[in-house]
Amino acid sequence: MTKRQVPAPTDEELDVYIRTRYALLGVDISVLPESDPDAPMDQERLLANGRSILRQDIVAADFEIDPQFNLPVPHPAPFIAWTDEVER
Amino acid sequence: MRPPQDSVVSRRWFLDRMAWVTTAAAGGAAVLPGTAWGRETTREYLRDMPEPRPLQVLDDLTELTLAETVSLVRRGTVTPEELVRAHVARIERYDHAYQAYAARPSLDALLETAGTEPTDGDRAALRGVCLAPKDNVYTSDLLTEGGSLVYEGFQPDYDATVVATMRAAGGLVVGKAQMGNLAGGRAQVYGTTTPTTRNAWTPDDVEYSPAGSSSGTGTAVAARMAVAGLGTQTGGSVVGPGNAQGLTCIKPTFGRISLHGVIPLSYTRDHIGPMARTALDAAILLQVLAHPDPNDPRTLGLPPAPNYVQAATPFPGDRPAVRWPTRIGIAPGWLEPEDERVAELRRSFVRELEAMGNVRVVGEVTLPEQWEELTSPPLGGSHGDPTAFFIEPLRRDVRLFGDRLPRFLNGMLQSADTYVKVQQARMLLLHRIQTQLFNQCDVLLTQGSGAFDGTGMPVLCMPIGFGTEPRTGKTVPRGVNLAAPPFGEERLFAVAAAWQARTDHHTVRPEDPVG
Repeated sequence: MTKRQVPAPTDEELDVYIRTRYALLGVDISVLPESDPDAPMDQERLLANGRSILRQDIVAADFEIDPQFNLPVPHPAPFIAWTDEVER
Repeated sequence: MRPPQDSVVSRRWFLDRMAWVTTAAAGGAAVLPGTAWGRETTREYLRDMPEPRPLQVLDDLTELTLAETVSLVRRGTVTPEELVRAHVARIERYDHAYQAYAARPSLDALLETAGTEPTDGDRAALRGVCLAPKDNVYTSDLLTEGGSLVYEGFQPDYDATVVATMRAAGGLVVGKAQMGNLAGGRAQVYGTTTPTTRNAWTPDDVEYSPAGSSSGTGTAVAARMAVAGLGTQTGGSVVGPGNAQGLTCIKPTFGRISLHGVIPLSYTRDHIGPMARTALDAAILLQVLAHPDPNDPRTLGLPPAPNYVQAATPFPGDRPAVRWPTRIGIAPGWLEPEDERVAELRRSFVRELEAMGNVRVVGEVTLPEQWEELTSPPLGGSHGDPTAFFIEPLRRDVRLFGDRLPRFLNGMLQSADTYVKVQQARMLLLHRIQTQLFNQCDVLLTQGSGAFDGTGMPVLCMPIGFGTEPRTGKTVPRGVNLAAPPFGEERLFAVAAAWQARTDHHTVRPEDPVG
């Protein structure tokens, strides 16, 4: 079965999504300057980073991993001790 | 001689997996050595330390290593009060230039503590040792501001487990060390991008970075304003400043040291790391701190900590040798950095390793399959981790986060399915490192630490020589990262101890600031 092709969202669409998501959670980014390279942070850089994070979801989604053999583990190194892969 | 802990971990895991994969008959299961780890106390381990240098050969008490401090205080040759006075005098003379400390107790308060018998008794492991924990570690008597406006003025009402443990052992917190904003980057004026802490090797040059985020601890230890300290590492923040300032530091296996009372960046990748001047000093501090903490369940259910002090003590023999036969691998490209002077240092280091006993340098290793995908963002990252803990200040005013704001908002954007995939990939990476990388070697020489931070594997850094900072022509230390499988700290200490028995790069002291 071929993948259904969905048009990729534009930067502008993602910016609306990002601003809406922050606003939904009560975070106000309008207190930052819109664009000021000399400021510690501005909205332009923040949104660019947000778009990058959202687009990285595609990389993760495309990564094929056997769900039967690869469980999500937050703490891999201690996990191998907890599951007795380490002699006590 | 019993084997180092990592060999049991790897062997057991490898044998189990191979048996399962091949469905081979299980006859003749491997007989693994018995474990006596954790039965002895740190105090007993310290009895076998090497003799300290005579006091007469030292310029001042701040030159004492942690191991020497412990020995000399126990013998009554020096007192904790004398050590406090020496370190405070140095801090007061020079920290205006280094800017390593964010907060300090008064001399009177320190002297009172130094004169009190530690909870662990008069033979306490760290008695008189002056320490510089990073400012994201809670202290009940000093502000804990995390290098950030978010925590400005924050006074915890209890000590982090690591601080409480060090104090019970007689350790003295001479100050809280400056750090990068919420554990990212080099230390800066809160809320700005103006750097503060200087590299101890270039105190008059603000441009040459002390590295981060454990900048202040690195500078305080290198500049002899503390004997040792604690950094934290989520992505290279202990070994970075360690290498930049000629220190020997260990980021241990995840869970070895409690994170209770430490401002979190990532619940899954944060590590406390002892920062010191020698492998033995780092090992003693790890020995004191590596124990289960009921307040941090991630530390529970692990194999007891083995004798790190012994592992970091030079192995007796005609020539410096690693305590256990050890194969050392080299990450692809590590011998060919852009800077030819660094390349020569690394080649020389490898030649020296080959001349040590019990070492076999196996050369460049082959990286596990899908290495690039599994160690790069998003799968090799931790983008979503910091958000949940910081919702309240994010709602209060995003400007408090300064240049680090994106890192703390990312969790609102990264999807749950990506977050799950990251955790799947992290475990897959650990298994591949175990079976496809550490089947070729026991210790890896590597540039970065990211793959080992995410999987929670131990990394040690140590100096291997000096180079020239191209902009100013100043001499600065160069270091190396050594990585090992989970619970492989002993192996790392053993290699570092043998190297440091053969060389003196780790003993070179930076010049004092002018003025």
